[in-house]
Parts: sequence; C-alpha cells; structure tokens
Amino acid sequence: MRKTITFIVTKDCQLACKYCYLIGKNNKERMSWDVAKQAIDYILSHEDDFQDEGIIWDFIGGEPFLEIDLIDKICDYLKEQMFTRNHHWFNDYMFSFTTNGLNYQSEKLQKYIAKNIDHLSITITIDGTERKHDLNRIYKGSGKGSYKDVVKNIPLWLKQFPTVGTKITISREDIPYIKESVMHVYGLGITDVHINCVFEDVFKDGDDLLFEEQVEALADEIIDNGYYKDHVCSFFDESIGKPLDPVKRNNNWCGAGRMLSIDAAGNFYPCTRFAQYSLRDKKAWIIGNVNDGIDRNKLRPFLLLDRCTQSPQKCIDCEVASGCAWCQGENYDAAEIPTLYQRATAICKMHKAQVRANNYYWNKLYRKLELEGLREEFEENRPVSNQEIC
Amino acid sequence: MLQYLIILLDDTSTSYCHYSPSQSQHQLIALADLKAGIRFAMKENLMIQYVYPACDLPQEYKETIETIDHSKIIPSNSPMVEEADVVVFNNWKDAVGFSFDESATYVLRICKEDLFAQKEVIGTFISKVARLNIVLIDVETFTENDFSRYKSVLDSFGKETEKLYKAGMSPQLNVITDRIALSQMNNCNAGSNNITLAPDGRFYICPAFYYSAEDKETFCVGDLQSGLAIKAAKLYKLAYAPLCRICDAYQCKRCVWINRKMTFDITTPSHEQCVLAHLERNTSRRVLESVRKEKEFYPEQDIKEIDYLDPFDVRIDWHKI
Repeated sequence: MRKTITFIVTKDCQLACKYCYLIGKNNKERMSWDVAKQAIDYILSHEDDFQDEGIIWDFIGGEPFLEIDLIDKICDYLKEQMFTRNHHWFNDYMFSFTTNGLNYQSEKLQKYIAKNIDHLSITITIDGTERKHDLNRIYKGSGKGSYKDVVKNIPLWLKQFPTVGTKITISREDIPYIKESVMHVYGLGITDVHINCVFEDVFKDGDDLLFEEQVEALADEIIDNGYYKDHVCSFFDESIGKPLDPVKRNNNWCGAGRMLSIDAAGNFYPCTRFAQYSLRDKKAWIIGNVNDGIDRNKLRPFLLLDRCTQSPQKCIDCEVASGCAWCQGENYDAAEIPTLYQRATAICKMHKAQVRANNYYWNKLYRKLELEGLREEFEENRPVSNQEIC
Repeated sequence: MLQYLIILLDDTSTSYCHYSPSQSQHQLIALADLKAGIRFAMKENLMIQYVYPACDLPQEYKETIETIDHSKIIPSNSPMVEEADVVVFNNWKDAVGFSFDESATYVLRICKEDLFAQKEVIGTFISKVARLNIVLIDVETFTENDFSRYKSVLDSFGKETEKLYKAGMSPQLNVITDRIALSQMNNCNAGSNNITLAPDGRFYICPAFYYSAEDKETFCVGDLQSGLAIKAAKLYKLAYAPLCRICDAYQCKRCVWINRKMTFDITTPSHEQCVLAHLERNTSRRVLESVRKEKEFYPEQDIKEIDYLDPFDVRIDWHKI
C-alpha cells in the first residue's frame, strides 16, 4: 500500500468551477519553501510512524501548477532526502497531480515533467463536451469557459501519459450531458473515466430518473459501439449494487486519516477536505503541524471508523449498498454536530439510479457476449481502471 | 433513555466532574426557569440533581427545590453543605479536617500533581465515607511518566481498599471498587441518560459544554420553551462509540466532553482516558484476586488479564482486512 501525503501548495486557481468543494480559495495562502521543507523533514525523520510500503507525494491547490517552481524544489528535495536518509520510500514513490490543465504546455512544467516522468501521475480534468465542461469549469472573474484552453493540451498529455484517466464530476446541471460527455472524452483518446456525482446535497426530486436515463443511454452507446472492450467508465462495475454484510463488509469507504495533508500555514490535516477552505459549516480538523508533529488523539476517530457505525439504518439494511460512496469530509461538514460518525445520504437516490443502469449494462453486455460466444474472451481481457481514488 | 435532569442553580455552581466552571459572577437560574425545569422533569419522569454554588440561596429557591424528589450536589464550602447528598471538594486541602459523614458521598476534584503528592492523605479518606469519587481535572495533560505515577497511586489505594474488604467492610472508591462490582458499562452517559439545564434556561449535553466558549452553542440541545432537541442523539449512546462498546473498563466515565476536547469527536476517547481507565481496571482486578485469596468475594465477577492499556491498540483495523 502507498500512503498519500498532499501538499496544498496554493489555494489559488485560474478557474472558479461551480461545483468545487474548495469554497475558501484565495490567492494569499501560498506555501513557502520553509514550510514545505519543515514538513518534509518532519515526515522523513519519523519513518517509524509512516510505515506504508510506498508513497504518493500529492500536490493540490487551487491549481497546483501555479506553484511549479516550489513543486520542482520540493520534489528535488524529496528525492535527495529519501536517498540520503536511505528511506524505504525511495524504492516506491510517485508525484501525483490533478490539474485543470491550463498551464500544461508551459516550459517550466514540461521541464519538470521531463525530469520526473518515471515517477509522475498527472490527471487533467476535462468534464466532457465543451458545453458540459464550460457549464461549470469557468474562469474566475470573466466566467468564460475553459474547455478550449484545456482540450488543446490533451494530445501532449496523452502522449506523455498514454494510460492515464480523467475524472468527471456530475453536479445537478450536468445530468443531461453525461452520455455525450463520456463519449466525448473517449473520443479524445482517454480510455479510463472515473465519474461520480458530487456528494453535496444538491439533487432534487426527479434528478435520479434523468440521471438513470443518461447512464442507461451511455450503457447502450458503450456496448453498441464496442467501447466495453478497451475503455473503462466507473459507472459500470459488477461489484456495485449488492447488499453488504454488516460484519464482513464493514470497512470505511475513504482513506481520510490514513492520508496526510499540509497547508501553507504548516498545519496537518487527515485529508484536504478537512482544511478550512473546503468546509462550509465546520471548523478545520487540524491534527498537528510541522513544529509539533501529529496529535494522534485527533486521528483516533478516523482510524476507528467503520461503515455501519456511521451509517443510518436504511444504509445498513440497503439491498444495493455496495459501491455507494461517501466523502468523510462531506459527512463531517453536513453532520448535525462536529462528528465523523453521521453519514450524509444526499446521493442515495442517485446511487440507486446508478445501480439500475449498471444492472442494465451488465445484463445487456453479457447477453450480447453470450450470443456472440465472446463472454469468456471478454472475461479474460476486460479493461481495468488505472486510477487511484481516495 | 433519559433518566436524570441536572440543574445548575447558578453560573458559579460547583463542578463535580472533569470540567471547571468558567464563570466567576453569580447568576442564579431564573426562578421561573427553575420551576419550569421541575415541571419538565415531572412530565418526563426525570430525577433531578441540583448543583449548588458556594453561596447561600434565597428562601424561595430553597422552597421550590423541595417541590420534587431530588438529590443535592453541594460544594464543601457552601453554608448548605449539611443538606448535601454529594459533597464536592474542589481542593484536597478542604477535605483535610472536614467532618465526614460516614453515610455520604464525596467527590474530590484534584489535579494529577496533587494526587501524586497527597496519595497517603487521600487514602485515609476511603474508610471515613460511604463513597469517594476521585475526579481528575487534568486528564489531557497525562504523560507516559504520569501513567506510571498514577498506577502507583492506584496501588496504594488498592492496598487500602483490600484491607477494608478483608476486614469485612464495603469501601467505595470509584476508581477501584466500581469495576469490581460492575458487570456492564456504567458511564456518565451525558446526552443519553442525563441532560443539563443551565442558568440561562437552556439545555446542554452536560455542564461542561455550557461553560465551553467554543462548544456552548453546538452542544446546546434546546430550551424550556421549545423542549429538548438533541442533535445526532444516537451518537451519545454506547453502541455508537466504536472503541468503548468493546471495552471492559466498565467504571470509565466515557466523558463525551473530554472526547470532544481531545479527539474532536464525542464518540471517541483519547489515549489518556483509555490508559487511565485501564490502569484502574487492572488495579481492580488485582484487588479482586487478592481478596479472593482470603474469602469469597464477588464470585460471579471475572476481570480478565489483558496485555494492553489502550483498546485502540487492539482495534479491528479494517484497512488491514
């Protein structure tokens, strides 16, 4: 297993995406080299506390590549320190980025990519067709859509990272464009699409039916045009939509508490979603800082989380519970009191709609393959996602 | 199920627990609110525990208090201390020379340094009272070294209680004898078993939250006009405390206020709370074993030998399954 440690290098971004959960973005909180170095020194000098086999050094913003000079310096220092300390992570490390892709062709970034290509994972977020992408992913200030400025960078990105995927986020306004967006992204040459509804309480009555209609249409498109052979879409997964045993399948969904995020002030968080800039109604869940280290008491509630304790009875009894995700940060933010133990269920109807469309997909696909005598071949060669999701 | 209503009669009402009141100015609960609180308790079948300040009360309050069955928690320096069901010492020095009532319960609120330094003095109180509750007021400051010192204090108290048991007496010292007698969790249960009415006429999960500048509003759970509305009510129950529900340190207070303070989540205890409770549990076990060598003693009780002090260390780690 790899641990994920995230540097929140800036809270600034060129965009002001409408669905962004980072509601407190600003251009003032930029990480200094001193804070970054202190964080690295703390982490690498406490090897016993970080025994995971490998490490994903993750960089987030805002838009992380606005701080490419700092990132380059951090990565150089990390490599040097992991090597000179003979740290076990030197054998298994990655630098990971999710970017809006706007600066992708800049000289500095390309130089950085060339230098670190063997240890890099970069995901450019493209939300689908131009109209879908520009519905949410707009420039700060002007409100102009960012699609054209991103899509021109996709060919170079795919050339450098041919197996990567992208993430598509579905908010309420995006529902009518799901099918065309996934197909558009496939058309750009991206074969791995992770797609999910936002966890916030934004969906209204009837949205689930429209959503189901779209995902079902997407299923038809993928099957009828043969994309199922070598493309992946996270909406369609055979493990989704089954009941979960309350004893044997009681694990928590996300990795909050097993990850670590560091912000510009040098504070540590169990995940970026617990930093103040991503919380609407609750106070930041700070678990320490670069000077004092980690307060393990503040991590205990995370490390004790299981599915059933935090779930309402309707989720425990749910016949289609598997694959129903939650975000621990959103749970905390939406809870009636400051607790991790009250699961938000705003996506309940959307999950059930996804399950129905997912069932349709597999029933249709397997019937087709069986009639064609190709099921066995498909089972042996089915495409798998390369994306690591929290 | 709610069973108790704690009524703080004044902003300076004594603490009888881990928290320290933040108010120094007297502010009595309004007489109308006191009466409304009593009516509320009657309708909800709640037993009232009045918590007194160090000063005297007006006569009309005294008369109102007596209109319902109740118990009185009174600081040792109050002029009304003789009426107390539970006497609170906020300083160990106040207990020295105090005229103990052998049938009364006493709470000694004490910091670790005083406890470590005065264990001999405090040990002498055990035989003089019906029950002594020792309440640490600085749990969050305990270090590994302090745990060792606390163990030494417990050993000392253990010898005293052992001696009394062997002499045919029934001492009650919360940190040792409770676990010997208990067969299931017996925690504070603020928010599920009891609720607090504060001098501002509002309900709180417990007095500590009323005095917490940061958490007062979050853990205010209604008022006398609109009634009780406990948000996320089930989370105050043992079944939703992921560590405590598998624990057998039955005497632990399972203080949701310290949980909130130290781990940010009311459901989860800190390392310090768990270790202290387990040191107590283990001392109880030793006393039980020792007394049994001389006579039949709680024959049904079985406190198992364990090799951890913090159940967090032996939790189910779903991540590794």
